[in-house]
Amino acid sequence: MNKLIVLITIWLLAPFAFATTTIKASVNGMVCSFCAQGIEKRLSKLPAVASVFVDLKHRIVAVEAKPGQTLDPAQVSAEIVEAGYAVTQLETLAQPLSEVKAQAKALK
Amino acid sequence: MPCFCVRRWLFSLVFLSLIAPVRAAPMGFKESVMAMGDFGPNWREVFANYALTPRDAVGAGGLWMRSDDGLRQRSLADVGYTRLLTRWNLPNAQANVWFFGGLGAVTGNDFAGSKLMVTPGVQADYETTRIYLAASARLYRARGLNHDFASLRAGFSFYEVDYDEVQPWLVIEARRMHGLSDTTEITPMLRLIHKRFFVELGANQSRQARANFMYIF
Repeated sequence: MNKLIVLITIWLLAPFAFATTTIKASVNGMVCSFCAQGIEKRLSKLPAVASVFVDLKHRIVAVEAKPGQTLDPAQVSAEIVEAGYAVTQLETLAQPLSEVKAQAKALK
Repeated sequence: MPCFCVRRWLFSLVFLSLIAPVRAAPMGFKESVMAMGDFGPNWREVFANYALTPRDAVGAGGLWMRSDDGLRQRSLADVGYTRLLTRWNLPNAQANVWFFGGLGAVTGNDFAGSKLMVTPGVQADYETTRIYLAASARLYRARGLNHDFASLRAGFSFYEVDYDEVQPWLVIEARRMHGLSDTTEITPMLRLIHKRFFVELGANQSRQARANFMYIF
């Protein structure tokens, strides 16, 4: 019975224990979707990535980690560079990707 | 004399642009395959390349060309190498200089057999989310044949779009090919760009239809 209580407690607390991690990058040179889709494809292949957001107008690329996983900022940056672009700023945020999207939309 | 060197380099680039096909980024991202096509009454080309690195791609293609009077034809099957020589990733723009190398066999209806053809070229382009400029020069040389090609392109997008939306552009191209045409072909085209595809549709001053596409796998 005690084990069951512990398991239920862990299950209930899990979403709070693993806060969402999003990495937001400012990217230079990203001017069209045809060119920039390489960024999305490369980042989507990373095992820890849940979803990718690309905003051409504000030169933003944001990636959200899968629940319970962490993203390596250096790896995210390296993938963007490998796709042919320049990363000028990298931030790790404790907020979901949906909030980053909403903020970008609000700027338009 | 650094200023003189830069001026000379820019002059050379402009000169080359006046003497070859312009593609938007002529290769995809690393480990991607890009397919391209350019179709008109006197020019039909298909090409596919594989990006080995972010800067190098190898591919193969075919090109069919015809003179304006419809009398002379050329068919080229070649293998090509594309190299991104340099890229400037700017805050709201991107500029590139590309090198093309090609080697293949050309046949024609006014000579027997096939000839070895070499097709080196360069392209310089500058693009923002609203403006596109490109100049390209490419040599098409074989023994007794010179079909050097030059092209200039300028375009603008009607409006900015989100990453997942189709973006329409108006692009005007002027191109000329030595030895097969005495006129400079001017073609206004509607360009539609989305993540994986790139399509251009237009008609030149002789009312000949033109269609281009690119697709990344």
